[in-house]
Amino acid sequence: MHHTKRFGLINIAGMLLPLLQAVIATAPVIWAQTASTASTTSSVQNGAPAQTFREVVDETGRTVRIPQPVTRIVSLAPSLTETIYALGLQDRLVGDTDYCDYPPEAQKKQKVGGAINPSLEVIAHLRPDVVLVTRHLNTLDTVHSLDALGIPSYATDPRNVDEIVASAKRLGDVLGASEAGAALTEELQRRLDVLRQKIGALPPRRVLFVVWTDPLISIGKDTFIADALRRAGAVSIIDSKQDWPQVNLEEVAHLQPEVLVFADSHGETTAQHLDVLATRPAWRILNAVRDRNFAVISEAVNRPAPRIVTAIEELAEKLHPEAFVEKPAADKLSGNTVLDAKCLCAR
Amino acid sequence: MRPLTIQRLFLQCAALAGILFVVVIIALKAGAVEVSLFALGRDLIRVIVHHGSEIKSDYGLIVMNIRLPRILLGIFVGASLAVAGTGFQALLRNPLADPYVLGVSNGAALGAILALLVSPHLALLPAVADLLTPLGAFLGATATIAAVYFLGRREGQIDSTTLLLGGVITGSFLAAIIMFLMTSESGSNLRGMAYWLMGNLSTSLQPSVYWILWLGFLLGAGAIYTTASDLNLLLSGEKEAMHLGVDLPRVRLVVYIAASLLTGLAVSVSGSIGYVGLLVPHVMRQIFGSDHRVLLPTAAFGGAIAVVIADTIGRIVVPPAELPVGAMTALAGAPLFIYLLRRRMA
Amino acid sequence: MSTVARPTAMGALRSPGEASRANNDVRLSVEQVSYAYSPNPTQAPLFTLEATSFQARAGEIVAILGPNASGKSTLLKLIAGTLEPLSGKVLLSGFPTHSLTARTRAQRIAMVQQESQLLFPARAWEFVLQGRHPHGRALRFESATDIAVARNALAQVGAAQLSDRWMAELSGGEKQRVILARALAQQPLLLLLDEPTLHLDIAAQVDLLHGLRHLAVENRYTVIVVTHELNLAGEYANQVVLIQRGKCLRVGPPGVVYQRELLEQVFQTPLSVELGPSGRPRVNVVADRESR
Repeated sequence: MHHTKRFGLINIAGMLLPLLQAVIATAPVIWAQTASTASTTSSVQNGAPAQTFREVVDETGRTVRIPQPVTRIVSLAPSLTETIYALGLQDRLVGDTDYCDYPPEAQKKQKVGGAINPSLEVIAHLRPDVVLVTRHLNTLDTVHSLDALGIPSYATDPRNVDEIVASAKRLGDVLGASEAGAALTEELQRRLDVLRQKIGALPPRRVLFVVWTDPLISIGKDTFIADALRRAGAVSIIDSKQDWPQVNLEEVAHLQPEVLVFADSHGETTAQHLDVLATRPAWRILNAVRDRNFAVISEAVNRPAPRIVTAIEELAEKLHPEAFVEKPAADKLSGNTVLDAKCLCAR
Repeated sequence: MRPLTIQRLFLQCAALAGILFVVVIIALKAGAVEVSLFALGRDLIRVIVHHGSEIKSDYGLIVMNIRLPRILLGIFVGASLAVAGTGFQALLRNPLADPYVLGVSNGAALGAILALLVSPHLALLPAVADLLTPLGAFLGATATIAAVYFLGRREGQIDSTTLLLGGVITGSFLAAIIMFLMTSESGSNLRGMAYWLMGNLSTSLQPSVYWILWLGFLLGAGAIYTTASDLNLLLSGEKEAMHLGVDLPRVRLVVYIAASLLTGLAVSVSGSIGYVGLLVPHVMRQIFGSDHRVLLPTAAFGGAIAVVIADTIGRIVVPPAELPVGAMTALAGAPLFIYLLRRRMA
Repeated sequence: MSTVARPTAMGALRSPGEASRANNDVRLSVEQVSYAYSPNPTQAPLFTLEATSFQARAGEIVAILGPNASGKSTLLKLIAGTLEPLSGKVLLSGFPTHSLTARTRAQRIAMVQQESQLLFPARAWEFVLQGRHPHGRALRFESATDIAVARNALAQVGAAQLSDRWMAELSGGEKQRVILARALAQQPLLLLLDEPTLHLDIAAQVDLLHGLRHLAVENRYTVIVVTHELNLAGEYANQVVLIQRGKCLRVGPPGVVYQRELLEQVFQTPLSVELGPSGRPRVNVVADRESR
């Protein structure tokens, strides 16, 4: 799906573009599972003491030899950068991408470029022990280039929330911070369990997760975002195998989702946007637009990183507010509707 | 000797209009939601005759507010692109010309992207904010038209070769800027823009925009049609046309501006839908001949039919998702182009 | 009306006989027309046509004769009105040709020249019908008159049977005829031809000139032919305008203009001139340069 040449396709000849984009839209690119062999041609890192290596198998099945101990890490994805901070390993992070913006301190790290096309020179100059990549964002080309330079790269590939949590633990192990990894994972799992207790029995709310409105783009059922929605007590009305399906507005109008979910850390933009949508006759057919039933959650939901659990909790609270209210000792809520001040989510 | 008569032209257009009507009916029926056309027709008549309020039924709303506007938009875009393509092919004396060759679509795309980037920072009324993207696209198209015009002049008049060169260069330059802007965004911002650029009829528009589009089409296509006889002569050669009384500078200017405006309007609302402006004129030429008095109206119908069919297929082939109409026209257009090419050479 | 020879262009004298012809027959009057072309204002002009004059009447064929790059085509364009003269004027029935609109010009002047490549296929009758364009309104369909004129034009050039053929399939001579038919369909006063015999074989060349003379006489066209074919011009033209390197050297009937010394000077090769069977001069190339 994230082929290197994606952005090179947006070229002069408007004719080529739709044709090639059609191929991409209908046939996701497959990351070759057996792509590269272990990076055995490792150069000697420094003159005197012999380097010890550890062989691990990353989440795409590649065998990687990582020098031990790991003291210099480069991250090529914002989700990986967040995980490193969550593991407490930020002092070993020597470089990250231009888009690594969470936590804010990450922005002060040495930048190596974009996730799709990082600068190999800068990476090499940083002399990392390992470069962290992830299948859903980085490209095979980058991995091959790093191999050619003799720089080991470790790839993660979490497909759902459980795998995101497991991936963080595994990363902790690989980077020599097993205890931190275990602690993080336990905490995340605990929060997910608490969430399941609170809302697991409630009927899920039917939602539409809106990535883009013109044209209308949502998420596929096999994405980690869809899984995150399920954990939050919601179900995406879009049942598509594509990762980012362009959705027919008619279909949505027919299915009538209860709530429209947006990922936007700055809620004002979305509020403006929703006012705009409400003026369009076609969108007004949606009850959710007319009644202003939308939920705006943190953009963390878009990243397969530990913070996604926070976004899940946020969404769960908005969709099932009654499960989060501290029940006063004797009273119970009757069947009144509860309006959350931040988001108008009426049941 | 069978010269063109107004009766023959009318019959040919009527036939195509009939085909378009059938296609529209099929498109109205096809889609994610089941529609009973009979019931819909009955409701429509009731609404029109009694000036009643909106149609109550579930499917009725969907059809009237989502599907029908989309089909109408498809007709507009298809007709505009086909007429613009015919005009450019005559103007540039080049059968490979399409409406995008002079860079107008890239200018529109850049305008749309800039509007998208700017709009969160402006405090606007919602209805106005919604118009910002098509407006930005149209302004971008207009600026490009003007720039290419000035680049494309020689000794004060439009010259076909210079125009083509100027247009191609401007187009590449704008494409480079677009690429730069898009690689400096991230995440979902990028993806949305890419889908839009691919060519999409699913943008739902404010009602006022539809009126502007149709007015623009009438003006633009009408202007080009007044030069139809001149364009016929132009195909024999520019010098010959001049000696036969064609006011070449005026014809060039009218066709250039009208065809570019039609393209700009179409791209402003639907992105770059490819192959329609290139191939529909060729197909119509095979069937109806090169006389522009016939070619222009039949190309308009042909373009409308092609786009509505492509969009309908895109809507029904991978439910609940849909394939952008630009992808469908490319998938169908490329093999058709090869076929036509081989026929010419055979 | 004077019988005295009047000096016109530099070095060219009009013969007394011509000057005595009735003036009210004059349709085309080229008066001291000159032209200069420079690609940019700071450079000296690349090409000049010095002041040239002649007159032509209805029913006449005038040949503009000279070697390559002598300025013949430029003179033709000045007559056609597509170029504006630097000095002097070209009057067609009293109107300067350059100041007419393109449409009016096309109603009175028809140009036949080397065809550009046809972009899209067309049939011969479609091609000829294009000649009716100057006579119609902007957006029009051909009327019965137009069709009749076009059919007639094809018949006049002896190409009626070619009417339904595709232009691309015609031979050189056949194409030339159809192009001429298109020019006739314009119903012009003036018929201009730029090197029409270039790609034709002998039979076709003779056919064409013969046809032109017939048309000129019967239909009272004024025909101006640019050519470098000495004998064709000599045989068919009423007047010859002899041009060399932008200078008009002589204007007059072939018998007067075809003087050996003059022709040898213009064409830079030994020639001999004799009287042909029709009473018109015939020019022969002298093959063996030594034996004179």
